[in-house]
Amino acid sequence: MVDVSQHELVPEHTVLEEDTLEEVLSEYNIDRTDLPKIKRNDPALPDEAEVGDVIKIVRDSRTTDQAVVYRLVVE
Amino acid sequence: MQDTTPKDIGQLSFGLMEPEEYREMSATKIITADTYDDDGFPIDMGLMDPRLGVIDPGLECKTCGKHSGSCNGHFGHIELAAPVIHVGFTKLIRRLLRGTCRECSRLLLTEDERDEFRDQLDESRKLSRDLNDVTKAAIRQARKKDRCPFCGEIQYDIDHEKPTTYYEVQQVLTSEYSQRIAGAMQGDEEAGVERTTPDELAEKTEIELTRVNEILSGSFRPRESQRKAIEKALDIDLTEEDTNKLMPSDIRDWFENIPDEDIEVLGINPERSRPEWMILTVLPVPPVTARPSITLDNGQRSEDDLTHKLVDIIRINQRFMENREAGAPQLIIEDLWELLQYHVTTFMDNEISGTPPARHRSGRPLKTLSQRLKGKEGRFRGSLSGKRVNFSARTVISPDPTLSLNEVGVPDRVAKEMTQTMNVTERNLEDARRFVSNGPEAHPGANYVRRPDGRRLKVTEKNCEQLAEKVEPGWEVNRHMIDGDIVIFNRQPSLHRMSIMAHEVVVMPYKTFRLNTVVCPPYNADFDGDEMNMHALQNEEARAEARVLMRVQEQILSPRFGENIIGAIQDHISGMYLLTADNPRFNETQALDLLRATRIDELPEPSGVDDEGKPFWTGYDVFSELLPDDLNLEFTGTVGDEVVIEDGQLLQGTIAEDEVGEFGGEIVDTITKIYGNTRARIFVNEVSTLAMRAIMHFGFSIGIDDETIPEEAEKRIDETIADANDRVEELIEAYENNELESLPGRTIDETLEMKIMQTLSRARDNAGNIADEHFDDENPAVVMANSGARGSMLNLTQMAGAVGQQAVRGERINRGYEDRTLSHYEPNDLSAEAHGFVENSYTSGLTPREFFFHAMGGREGLVDTAVRTSKSGYLQRRLINALSELETQYDGTVRDTSDTIVQFEFGEDGTSPVKVSSGEENNIDVDQIASRVLDSEFESEAEKQEFLGSRPRPTNLSEHADDRLAEGTEVTSDD
Repeated sequence: MVDVSQHELVPEHTVLEEDTLEEVLSEYNIDRTDLPKIKRNDPALPDEAEVGDVIKIVRDSRTTDQAVVYRLVVE
Repeated sequence: MQDTTPKDIGQLSFGLMEPEEYREMSATKIITADTYDDDGFPIDMGLMDPRLGVIDPGLECKTCGKHSGSCNGHFGHIELAAPVIHVGFTKLIRRLLRGTCRECSRLLLTEDERDEFRDQLDESRKLSRDLNDVTKAAIRQARKKDRCPFCGEIQYDIDHEKPTTYYEVQQVLTSEYSQRIAGAMQGDEEAGVERTTPDELAEKTEIELTRVNEILSGSFRPRESQRKAIEKALDIDLTEEDTNKLMPSDIRDWFENIPDEDIEVLGINPERSRPEWMILTVLPVPPVTARPSITLDNGQRSEDDLTHKLVDIIRINQRFMENREAGAPQLIIEDLWELLQYHVTTFMDNEISGTPPARHRSGRPLKTLSQRLKGKEGRFRGSLSGKRVNFSARTVISPDPTLSLNEVGVPDRVAKEMTQTMNVTERNLEDARRFVSNGPEAHPGANYVRRPDGRRLKVTEKNCEQLAEKVEPGWEVNRHMIDGDIVIFNRQPSLHRMSIMAHEVVVMPYKTFRLNTVVCPPYNADFDGDEMNMHALQNEEARAEARVLMRVQEQILSPRFGENIIGAIQDHISGMYLLTADNPRFNETQALDLLRATRIDELPEPSGVDDEGKPFWTGYDVFSELLPDDLNLEFTGTVGDEVVIEDGQLLQGTIAEDEVGEFGGEIVDTITKIYGNTRARIFVNEVSTLAMRAIMHFGFSIGIDDETIPEEAEKRIDETIADANDRVEELIEAYENNELESLPGRTIDETLEMKIMQTLSRARDNAGNIADEHFDDENPAVVMANSGARGSMLNLTQMAGAVGQQAVRGERINRGYEDRTLSHYEPNDLSAEAHGFVENSYTSGLTPREFFFHAMGGREGLVDTAVRTSKSGYLQRRLINALSELETQYDGTVRDTSDTIVQFEFGEDGTSPVKVSSGEENNIDVDQIASRVLDSEFESEAEKQEFLGSRPRPTNLSEHADDRLAEGTEVTSDD
């Protein structure tokens, strides 16, 4: 099986630590359910990600060098 | 004024209405189907009962005491003789019937399952997902149970016959069970099934022999367990479906017993909606204001469709009750019940599949409740999202190059109708009096005045003089639209932001709206009969907003690609090309004539002196007059040469499409971004007028002679094509002799087709090249193609050389008759001619067969565009609906209405495309712009520090204000 997370077009997905998550949530003044979602079975997710975790994705961007996006893992 | 206080809507909640609520809000019970008595008075407790509201002017509402217009009307109610199903909930009713116990009405889920689904529902709510997914899954789970987990009752399948009948389907013993058993015991020799004796059967099924005989004789009905045993022993089916119709009253009783905890799991809030309310026992009667009757010319009254339907309902309702009281047979009662159900169903929705629509006497289907709401002309899309508006006008558009791109020419007859409200003060009193005294017919006149006491008076030809004298400060005057007013202008389809822009009015004679041709690209307008809409703004806030945000000059840069969408087009580009391609010389008169429609009224130092000692000005110098004094620019231009602009002087290069054109003309784009929209507007206006002067100076026309080539060239083209035909013949010969080698991944047939296509397209290109050799650079078609004004070299090739291969679906033409395209050819003729190669040019004319093939190719193009526009239109509609509620918040995030984040930073960089350099590399030097602006703004360094960053750019004043401003700081003449 190909591990798509190693593919060059798949950006880095990391599980966000609980305290950094708090910072992010308070920065945007939101609950974690207001974040965009990502399915648990998404092949780009790291193995340790669980439903309810928040994933930080750092993408290459056409307009800025790097764009950071957070997503909530749902089943 | 209690009812005018603005209120905030906290929340909306939707639910079902309780029958008791219908009765409570009802102004009266309706019992008679009649509307008016013989004297024309409404009958009490009839459908037009005066307590339901008033429609006739002058009468007083019996319920609220208000008059027609202010009384919204009041509901009445009909007590239905028997409960009926509400058609809007048939699906939900089916779901509930299938998911609950037929005996104890409890949800067919164990407590654990129920709690799990409740949790899932809560989570879905939090993640704002579709709740239906959970409730559907719950019902699916419940349907799997064949026994109630609480009372143990066997559950049957529920069959739903659309629209409103429900059956319980049970498997019961068929009445011909004895015959079936006997038949099976006979055995089947052919299939190799042996005979079974009653003894054997008794043994296999463990039923006593006497019982078996009784069963076989039909005198004893086998019990369920016995039936199963016999079925198993003989491998037969002894059951038949027994359908048991569920009457609405049964369903109502069933639903009444569903516990509150159970329906929560199905997504229903039990405090607000009980499932039994989906079966109607009371029918609300809409107020008369919702179904007004109209009086015809002959004095007869014509009732609304809803009233007709209500009459039907009441009639059947009464008949039902009479029959029941008279003790009519069950069959008749059931028929009437069904009829009542039909009328109530069609009262709510008259377009249900499977039910014949209720019709008017004339045969027209009635327009009932759901038809009023649904569809394009329905209440939502037709009356709430889209309304007819006042102060709007629509007419044909035509071009006027003398207007600024910000302006629109408005016909005087439109200007006289679209009034603007003028609040009279001491300062405009004189104007106001003048407008009023001109009356409603003369142009800058007035149609109405409003006195401070609120009385509105019409200005007429007769009273205008006296009225003008009475006008005082504090009055309002509805004056005609005059030059400089701001209006909104729109062309459908409004596909992007620039389809609706604000223009300044210039009142003109005749009947069309006039626009400057440079605003055609954003509107996608032309003048072949296009019509456009104009909206006159009605309050100061709207006018200010339109001027600041919507004016054409504010839309020069397109948010789609960040470059200018407004610029020189067509003849403007040809004109600029003629002016700058060979850098011609002009004498003083000519140069001044070129610039006469611009702000420039003095020529710069002459470029040089000619042989006769007279001064001359070059095309570059004339054009440079329009550029800002300190513009520096260097890039590769349309014709491939280097365009160099230094200190506002064009030093080198041809000005054409990529320089000043629409969709990213470099100079227009740069000026807009560096010097602002006002300067860009002036530049585009002046470029277009200069270009028109230039093209008129040189003269520009095109005719058949311009595409005719010498005989000698034509001969060469013929030779080229003959040559190509020969090569095609060779290919076909090779193919027929099986000598053709196939290309990788292609069959031999495909290879042949490809090679023929290649050969022929090369032939057309060669023909084009031969033709090109005979066109000089002054040829108008060549000028247009080179400058990018219109057309391409391919068009020229087709006009002068050969039209070339016609294609349908990307292949040579292959359709028509069996094995051939036309009956003029042999079957299986593979030659170029037989498959749509057009050797002739448009100038030489096509042969009939060529013409036919050409029409085939042309038709495909037309069909394609038609299909594409409809498809992309629908796609765009869907996209717009999906994105319409997204909004960029002050923290830079993009969120939807429930505050869910869609983008963490707008476009990932938080920048508007129009505020950003469009070039590949960042070729706008921000520091340079900043210091240039600052330096020109302040005389001393101290002053500069004091004001730093506090001066906004004056972009949004009227054009007429700009003229005054131009003398000051903003834009100065180049000299």
